[in-house]
Amino acid sequence: MTDRVTLTIDGKQVTVPAGMLVVDAAKKVAVHIPIFCYHPKLGSAAMCRQCLVEVGRPIIDHATGHPELEDGFPRIQFSAKLETACTTLVSEGMVVLTQSERARKGQKEVLEFLLTSHPLDCPICDKGGECPLQNLTMAHGPGKSRFLFDEKHHAEKQVPLGELIFLDRERCIQCGRCVRFQENVAGEPVIGFYQRGRSMDIVSFSEPGFDSVFSGNTTDICPVGALTTADFRFGARPWELMAAASICSQCAVGCNTTLNTRREARSDGQIVVKRVMPRQNEQVNELWICDKGRFAGYHYTERDDRLLKPQVRRDDKFRSVSWDAAFLQAAEKLQDAEKPVFLVSGRLSNEDLFNLLQLADGLGAETLLYTNMGGGDLTGMVGLTSGSNLADLGLGDVILVVASDLQEEAPLWWLRIKQAAERGAMLIVVNPRETKLEKHADYVVRYAYGDEIKTIQDMNKATHKIHKVFAKAANAVIFYGSEGLGLEGSSGLAGACTSLLVDTGHYARPNNGLVGVWQRANDQGAWELGFRPVKDLQVIFDKSEVVYIVGADPVGDGAVRLKKRKPFMIVQELLSTDTVGHADLVLPARAFTEREGTYTSGERRVQRFYQAVPPRGESRPDYEIVAEIAARLDTALEREPGLVMDQLAEHIPAFGGISYLKVSEVVEQWPVINRSELFYGGAVYENTQGLGMQLRPAPVTSFPVSKGKGGLRPKEGLLLAVPVNKLYDQGLTVLSAPLLRERIGELKVCMNPDEADRLGFENGARLRIGLNGNNAKALLVVDPTVPSGILLVPRSMGLPIFEAGMPVLSKVRKKVTG
Amino acid sequence: MTLIEKYPQEVKQILARYPQDQKRSAVMPLLYLAQRENGFVHRRDMKDIGAMLDITETDVASLVGFYSLYHDEPAGRLRIQVCTDLSCALRGADDFLAALCESLGVEPGGTTPDGLVTVEPVMCLAACDKAPLFQVQTGAGLEYHERMTIEKTLEWIESRKEAAS
Ligand code: SF4
Ligand code: SF4
Ligand code: FES
Ligand code: FES
Repeated sequence: MTDRVTLTIDGKQVTVPAGMLVVDAAKKVAVHIPIFCYHPKLGSAAMCRQCLVEVGRPIIDHATGHPELEDGFPRIQFSAKLETACTTLVSEGMVVLTQSERARKGQKEVLEFLLTSHPLDCPICDKGGECPLQNLTMAHGPGKSRFLFDEKHHAEKQVPLGELIFLDRERCIQCGRCVRFQENVAGEPVIGFYQRGRSMDIVSFSEPGFDSVFSGNTTDICPVGALTTADFRFGARPWELMAAASICSQCAVGCNTTLNTRREARSDGQIVVKRVMPRQNEQVNELWICDKGRFAGYHYTERDDRLLKPQVRRDDKFRSVSWDAAFLQAAEKLQDAEKPVFLVSGRLSNEDLFNLLQLADGLGAETLLYTNMGGGDLTGMVGLTSGSNLADLGLGDVILVVASDLQEEAPLWWLRIKQAAERGAMLIVVNPRETKLEKHADYVVRYAYGDEIKTIQDMNKATHKIHKVFAKAANAVIFYGSEGLGLEGSSGLAGACTSLLVDTGHYARPNNGLVGVWQRANDQGAWELGFRPVKDLQVIFDKSEVVYIVGADPVGDGAVRLKKRKPFMIVQELLSTDTVGHADLVLPARAFTEREGTYTSGERRVQRFYQAVPPRGESRPDYEIVAEIAARLDTALEREPGLVMDQLAEHIPAFGGISYLKVSEVVEQWPVINRSELFYGGAVYENTQGLGMQLRPAPVTSFPVSKGKGGLRPKEGLLLAVPVNKLYDQGLTVLSAPLLRERIGELKVCMNPDEADRLGFENGARLRIGLNGNNAKALLVVDPTVPSGILLVPRSMGLPIFEAGMPVLSKVRKKVTG
Repeated sequence: MTLIEKYPQEVKQILARYPQDQKRSAVMPLLYLAQRENGFVHRRDMKDIGAMLDITETDVASLVGFYSLYHDEPAGRLRIQVCTDLSCALRGADDFLAALCESLGVEPGGTTPDGLVTVEPVMCLAACDKAPLFQVQTGAGLEYHERMTIEKTLEWIESRKEAAS
């Protein structure tokens, strides 16, 4: 058998790989066969029968083994019945007719059948305007129904599958896309079919309902308005929406998104974001985004406590000032200080960071990155390089994940790694406690908190099984996180991982290297530009005269305590954080939705986001604010993000060759997704604004030797509180999404049953926890998967926990009322 | 009480029938076990079974939903399911159902006040030539009662009543 076959579809000849389905082959020649249940990412189910076509195959002469000829052409035999294009494989010489009378009749009749059970409430349906059923009915359906209106199928119309996703039972056409997505793609079968025939329903029995961080994607691929998100339901009509390409700012994966906006009376005539949709990038997020990106994606930019005007503190009160005055004061303060400090975070774009770097250079200022995870110097050297795509990893490759609960910290990486494992890549999960990724792993290695570095170092001994696996593997990628590790610990861990990769030859080529599971969208970019964290921020705050804090909240996070003598604080921010509350000069920045820029993802891909809505108040983009301050110090910096990037590319070798033009390039992606034929891929947006570009491999010859110890260990008889990153927390960027409040819940801490026994706490007890001078009340969850001696404390949930520490616990006595 | 606490022996026996990596196959017999006592599968038991077999509660529930012999709601202790599909209707199944309901004093789908009998019409039971007929689940399994009359049916109900008391 040859591996490519040639066939004719509606008179167009096409050559495709053997094993392809007719429906996909047709896509290649822009023949759009109507479908409902098939989806290029979900495969065939043949549940809806919408894709009926006529299929003919050459008659083979048994004597010669060649096709019989008639007038010099192969004689074609058409099958007696129509065939489903979503299950029929292409074959040599096949002739497919999608528009013949017979085919059209079949398609039309299936539609007519579907419509007998359909409410046709398009005028009040959220899907109306981007609905495959509506579109296909217009294109292929009958104008009139012959069925009796009185016998129409009726069912419940507002069924919450959870608090995020609603089901309209009448509208469901039972295509099974949602169920198959959860089962096959997300790997979390928490929705299912119930009953059969006309009574068939989608149900969820999980706690909470529809308990999956990928749930929103089902609303994109549902071909009718049966599944809708609580966020967008009755929010707008699709045809009123404008679309702006964006990048999710919630984690280091950098999912490509489209922000749908409209001008509306409800928002005082302003243009506002109505929803976040995935935008296809087969190298990053394919057609999906996680629920955090979808439901929390932008809400924080619309908070009431957005900073709208520059402010200065005078007599301990904030007073609004003009930008001019603010720039001038900032410039003077920075210039007068002996060694000003710039403290920036990975929430800023590459352009913001580059301008900050230039300004700092001119001032001789110290540039600090605000993070408690280290190792970015190494990911800059041995990180993924141009040409990498997690989708390329499979049989013969190895992926190792260490010290990270990936589904909570970077859901789309979790998904892509799970898929790589399903393709045959060896997955090794190395964690101090059970995480969801383990179900898909070939090896699970468990270590005690504190043994992180040693565990990886041991693996790198030539005789160790895992070293051998790495040595044999074609490609290897390590994802490391910072669970239980502070800055030093995670730097050390990155070092140990680097040694393993370098010793086994897995760096400086595509699909090999080290990836940091950062907490912010552009941490990687900040490292690449040369920003570095310090171990003790407190010392910096204690001794500096002027600190310029951009996009960070060290006070609110408990990373520093302000004393009587504190530095002059210039704070450039979006929201009224605790740090802003102590600022001396406040500079209101624009949100990523209100400006342009690029982020560098954890996979070192530079991706561009565009302005979607007008700015709030007088806020300005960070790069521009910095350029204005610089201008008052006689330093000329670019104010156009594209030009800043040109400068950046010139100065920072890893960015060589990168420009806005380059990152905006697109090539054809498979599957071919198109909003005009959205019955094929769903309501996700096609990518016309750029697939981004990966950074070059850095020319390195030597690596810093991994030093440093692991994280803290629990001491005999004492508990160690370890911060963990949760997808949904009370951090401002998530908490601002009203929809997610229930999922966020209250502060819950976890410990092992034995530990709870020893301390005399029972499951569900209310505890008061004191930690580093802060305290909070929490609900105790007794969980056997937590190692003994450990108390897991989620970050940003009310108890500031910047690094691990020793907690003081006591039970909250119930108030006696009466 | 969880299923395994209530029926430790049975659960162990059922689980032992399947290899460790195929243990989800035990879902069907475990559901029968869960249904045995009360005539329906309690939500709590679905959860238990899911946890035992490493599948989601939704997965378990969708099986209960799919198979008409699993019930998710309480009914009479004897759930008499009368086939009223076409072939049976031609042999008088409709009349049989109506008469049975009348003599028990219930509507189709209803339960007698003493909670003993529920009568339900159902689709083809694959014994079309032996109508009127009904199926019923008892502790012993699934029973077919074919070529029935009202008298024979009431007699059988009576005998079950005695057996129960
Ligand atoms: S809810 Fe939508 S995706 Fe799910 S089966 Fe029904 S029509 Fe298909
Ligand atoms: S995986 Fe990360 S980048 Fe992607 S949508 Fe979720 S939070 Fe955003
Ligand atoms: S049967 Fe082919 S798309 Fe549904
Ligand atoms: S029609 Fe009643 S058993 Fe078949």
